[in-house]
Amino acid sequence: MTESDTVMDRLRIERAVWSFDARLQDLPRRSRIAKRRELRQNLRAAAGEVGARRAVRQLGSLRALAAEYLDAEYGELRCRPSWTAAALWIAAIEGVMMLLDQVSSTAFRAGVSTAGAHPVGAVHWRGIPYLISDKTITYAHDESTAIGGAWTVWVYVLMLGGALVAGRIWRLVPGLRRRAFAHGVLSD
Amino acid sequence: MTSAHDPQLLKGVLSLLLLCLLAERESYGYEVVQRLQEFGLGGINEGSVYPALARLEREEKVASRLVASHSGPARKYYRPTMAGRRALAAGSASWFSLVAVVNPVLAGDSARRTVRAKQA
Repeated sequence: MTESDTVMDRLRIERAVWSFDARLQDLPRRSRIAKRRELRQNLRAAAGEVGARRAVRQLGSLRALAAEYLDAEYGELRCRPSWTAAALWIAAIEGVMMLLDQVSSTAFRAGVSTAGAHPVGAVHWRGIPYLISDKTITYAHDESTAIGGAWTVWVYVLMLGGALVAGRIWRLVPGLRRRAFAHGVLSD
Repeated sequence: MTSAHDPQLLKGVLSLLLLCLLAERESYGYEVVQRLQEFGLGGINEGSVYPALARLEREEKVASRLVASHSGPARKYYRPTMAGRRALAAGSASWFSLVAVVNPVLAGDSARRTVRAKQA
């Protein structure tokens, strides 16, 4: 049927497929791709019979469809935290902070060296507000030692708070409740 | 006619229907929907059938294979496994047993209502 071949109909199908795909974030990549392909194939087959617009409409709510697929994959453990997302967030913050620390520290030392070819004594660096605490660099005999420059508590709040949000760690709670309930039932 | 079917009741037997249809002939998702519609089950939403097939596959009651299609991307055909055929046999027996119990109750209720209507 030609109707499924028009650009508009292909776009309509693709929009449905990718909207559906966006709601399958919790699935493993391979499974997600397989489901996306299968839905596209089914939609094209349906579009050949009833037209793309109706084919998409017959699917019903894409949100509900994705939820059904997640139920099918995970059962009642559908809502799981994403440890990968949490770990990636922590690694990203760690990386950014290390880079920031390195760059700012290098820039400060370069500035001190520019001011005097052989600096001597202690120099105070105020750090970066809310991120890196102040640092004292002591120069002696063309060598330097540094004290301070630690990450502030806000960095750790950002790191752990972000990991909590990115990994949706609160999803552990229903599972823990179920486990506690099952344990209670068994021990009774 | 199709709208007369209770979606909740249909959902309860959907897996059984899918296994039965696939045992007759391997099919892909949309084809299964069409076959259900041919049996007068047009009320079953496609959005229920596709995840139900995925669930059956996860439970290893159906297996799938990709078959190239001349009219688009490869189609995923499903067929029941041995576990699926056993589940179909058990589910069918359970269904017929339930129907055998429920039917007389409902038929009796219908007869009682007819008698009451006549008396009134």
